[in-house]
Amino acid sequence: MTEKNLDKGYIAIFGWSLRCIDALEKFDRRYVIVAPAWAEAHAVEHDIPFVSWDFERINDRSMELATTLEKMGVDVAVPLFEETVEWAGAVNSVLLKNARLLGQSMLFRDKSLMKRRAQLGGIRVGIFEEAMDQADVTRFLRRVNQTLLKLDGDPNDPIHFKAFDKAGCLGHRVIRTADDVASISDDEFPALLESHLDGWEFAVEAWIKDGKIQFLNISEYVTLGYSVFVPATPELEKWRGRITQEIEKLIEVFEIDFGFIHPEYFVTSDGTMYFGEVAYRPPGFNVFELLERAYGFNAYQAMIMVFDPKTTQEELEAFFPTEVVDAKGHAGCFGVYPRRRVVSNLEIPAETENHPYFDFHELNPPHAQKVTKRTAFGTHWGLVYFFGEDAVEMRDLLKAQEELDFYI
Amino acid sequence: MVEAEKTTSKSATANLQALLDRLDRQIIHLDGASRIGKSDHALRVLEVARRVLEHEEGLPALRQRIGVMDQAGLFSGSDWACPTNLQPSLVKQTLTHAAPATITLEAMSLLRFLVAATGDHANPGLLAEQAKQFLTQVLALNLDRLLGQAADEAQRNAQGPLTPAVDRLMRYLMQELGPDGILDHLIDEVWRIMAQRPLQVDHVKGMVVQIAQALQSGSTNAADAHLGADRLISALFGPATLCRDDPGIAVYINRLSRADERAIQDEAYALARAMHDTGLVSDYHAAFLRWTLDADHARMLPHALGLSTTGLDALRCYESLVYGMVDAAIQPGTAQAVYGLALMLERGILYSPPIAPSLWRLLETPLSEDCTSALGASCGTLLPAKTHLVAGVLMLLGQPLGVGQGNNPTCQSARALSMWALNDPDYLLWLIAQITRGDRLVLHFEGEPLDTATLPPGLATSALLDADPVSVLLVPHLDRAYAEMGRRCIGRSEDPHRWINPELHGWWVGRAFHIAVDVATGALKEYEDFLRAFHASYHPLHNGNQPVIHPQPAGIAVTDATGTFVGWHAITLIRAGLDQDGHTRVYFFNPNNDSGQDWGHGVIVSTSGAGERFGEGSLLFEEFAARLYLFHDDVLPSPATVVQVPDEQIARIAAMGRKSWAAGRAG
Repeated sequence: MTEKNLDKGYIAIFGWSLRCIDALEKFDRRYVIVAPAWAEAHAVEHDIPFVSWDFERINDRSMELATTLEKMGVDVAVPLFEETVEWAGAVNSVLLKNARLLGQSMLFRDKSLMKRRAQLGGIRVGIFEEAMDQADVTRFLRRVNQTLLKLDGDPNDPIHFKAFDKAGCLGHRVIRTADDVASISDDEFPALLESHLDGWEFAVEAWIKDGKIQFLNISEYVTLGYSVFVPATPELEKWRGRITQEIEKLIEVFEIDFGFIHPEYFVTSDGTMYFGEVAYRPPGFNVFELLERAYGFNAYQAMIMVFDPKTTQEELEAFFPTEVVDAKGHAGCFGVYPRRRVVSNLEIPAETENHPYFDFHELNPPHAQKVTKRTAFGTHWGLVYFFGEDAVEMRDLLKAQEELDFYI
Repeated sequence: MVEAEKTTSKSATANLQALLDRLDRQIIHLDGASRIGKSDHALRVLEVARRVLEHEEGLPALRQRIGVMDQAGLFSGSDWACPTNLQPSLVKQTLTHAAPATITLEAMSLLRFLVAATGDHANPGLLAEQAKQFLTQVLALNLDRLLGQAADEAQRNAQGPLTPAVDRLMRYLMQELGPDGILDHLIDEVWRIMAQRPLQVDHVKGMVVQIAQALQSGSTNAADAHLGADRLISALFGPATLCRDDPGIAVYINRLSRADERAIQDEAYALARAMHDTGLVSDYHAAFLRWTLDADHARMLPHALGLSTTGLDALRCYESLVYGMVDAAIQPGTAQAVYGLALMLERGILYSPPIAPSLWRLLETPLSEDCTSALGASCGTLLPAKTHLVAGVLMLLGQPLGVGQGNNPTCQSARALSMWALNDPDYLLWLIAQITRGDRLVLHFEGEPLDTATLPPGLATSALLDADPVSVLLVPHLDRAYAEMGRRCIGRSEDPHRWINPELHGWWVGRAFHIAVDVATGALKEYEDFLRAFHASYHPLHNGNQPVIHPQPAGIAVTDATGTFVGWHAITLIRAGLDQDGHTRVYFFNPNNDSGQDWGHGVIVSTSGAGERFGEGSLLFEEFAARLYLFHDDVLPSPATVVQVPDEQIARIAAMGRKSWAAGRAG
């Protein structure tokens, strides 16, 4: 374990992630993990500083968490998962004596509020609406397509259906037809509806301290929900200047003083940027892992530094490499979904395993033989990691994985 | 073949150097990971290591890196963390059936042993000699891989894609260590197991076949170097003159029918000698027995069974019953029952009034459908289920201490069967009659009947497949009854075995009950008093020299080779007495399949050579006491003046217990 520096902040991590704990063990900040009771036995067994907390329930004991951490001398709370973002906001408003932080975190948690706030601040967003039931979805689908001057019988342009408060692709559906609408169950409402933007979707990871971007990464999606790699291709990186301006706008509109954000954008062929959504927590698809592979810095440690009020600007400058130029190559990963209805074995395709870019995989043998049908963008069965010199080859390689069977 | 070619070309195309670069990088990550990240990174190392393992030239490169991998923490936090705790006998199962990552970890562990054995990379806590010993045993138990017998393509395919790599690893280990000693070790292992005379010998026969093939293939040194191999092989495949060349049953019968009286008698003597020497029975022996009855040579039967005057007398008194049992049970395929029959006759239990009629009842009772299918599932359907059952009964009655629990958590039930076969055989036959007729047992607990057909399952969650025929039928029911008795004791303040043991086994289980731990907390409770009471009950020098009259249930805190507590285990106390060296030993029955176990801190259970009868394990009285946590006592006052146990003796034993299983149980 790395020696802890008592002059630096004492960090509370909201959420259980072994990767994050691994990063903390190798870092000089004191830490405590705040996570549900199911993790406690593991924490005790491995001597991990731990406070048990149920994030599902909001009740009159909530203040207790803030005071407990305050008494322990904790300086700041860092959220790891979507569900913990407003908890961290609430606790930080107490710890940092800044009531605004709670309201800010609520913006990050509610996709509808988030879009309105962005719109009010002059950021371009697509058409969106809130839906309370299936009828709302049908109406929105029809109206969007009317706007596009479609005739009856023409195939509809799709719309997107997203849960208000879930991370990433969870609960995200693409709706084209009335049948798609009918397959949405009642418990998925309320939800956010968005028009489809025919553009190039990408994500940004930005570490912010004192309202200033410390490090900005552009993650290129090859196919949404399947694959991502960093740094992006030169084609996308050429927009870096514009993207930086957009992020600065976001920082201003959302009044972000510090922390880590993960927004998603579309860029259309004429260079117009549309804001999709923003999260105040680490992205899925292990982009942190990819960053470490490409640049060599630990993204969790980076995140903790920008949250820690005792971090200095010099420390940050020494920590972060220079974007793009310092990358040793491109790191990408592919989320595997079984393509067959019945599977019995995990078998990494030879062309994947023998490709010089193949790094490692985190796939497990199948537990069940029957594959449940995917309605929404579901959860992948595991990730396959790649690393190599050439961005275009990486992109093509990731694309090619979509046609391969990993589960047979 | 096609499959094999594909595999070869696949691994050949993979560039070994690229794999090794990847491996080295993952090892660096593993090394840099914190204690929390180790297992995650270890999996990544294993993923690449598996691919190197699959590469035809990968083994030397892995060997070169194993020291670094070990230091980086590849094994930390896994069952492989402490090499001295590993069991050679578990390796085969892992290498054959585990998930690829686990197979790879096992392979890396074997390489770790290799570098320790050859001194390339010293491992603190793993001596070169120990490492070599371990690998020798592993190789001996995996001879089939070395001899290329797993080369059958269909079989190989079924065994998974890593099979060629594991075969290659075995050959590599053999080549690096040299073949000396491996065969000898295997032969010793067979003799050691057979000294315990288990009922189930299929795995032993498998090992004997491997020995025979190894010797025949000429790949090893002169056969005379392998002491004892010939006796084992001939006992199975050519125990007597007319079958010395393993001619097949039909030819053998033909030869017998043309042999003269003297030759037949020699044949009978030779068969009997082979059987009693080894405990293994050849199929020719079974064929011979059937032939003697068919061909009117019944007077040869006692010779072929190798009976003493006791057995001979029992045979004469119950001639038609014995012939009936031979006819019902003895076939090539159930040959071991010949040994059971011989030993049963020697025990003289037929003279006990209920036994002979009980056996007649068994012979005449048709089996229920459930019994037939259960026996079919575990013994196969080549022979009728009834044949297997009668054979199983003969074996159990002949060798009460030969029964094993198989790979099932049912030590209680296996122990009960053994006790009844030893002490209460007519009760055992009554239970079998209940099952074969009605698929249920009605046992009683404190006056209340328990019908096992209506009870939920106990500890055994699946059907027993790897047990002897009597266990296959009875254990599922006994297990349920045992679990139900446990349920009925819920809420009582003491260990339930206080009530269960006498109720389940019989009146002869002592009603006084001693236990060394507090049931609620698991902490030691009045340990010294417990040990003193045990001496007063069982130690011949401290109990007025009273022998153990009936087998008594007792509870052992089983510890592993490092002396660490593993679990509670049911055994039977058979007797206590002096060994050849004048030390007092406890002789006991352990329903585990192999009693020869290392319980750590020098406590190694002996199975032969210290006065044990077949199937008994033994320990010095003090060593046994140091692992004991529960026993029963009949509370008869001692007739003689009792010699007090010296305090230092109790203190010594208590220290051994506290240092091992009772560590952390301060009470």
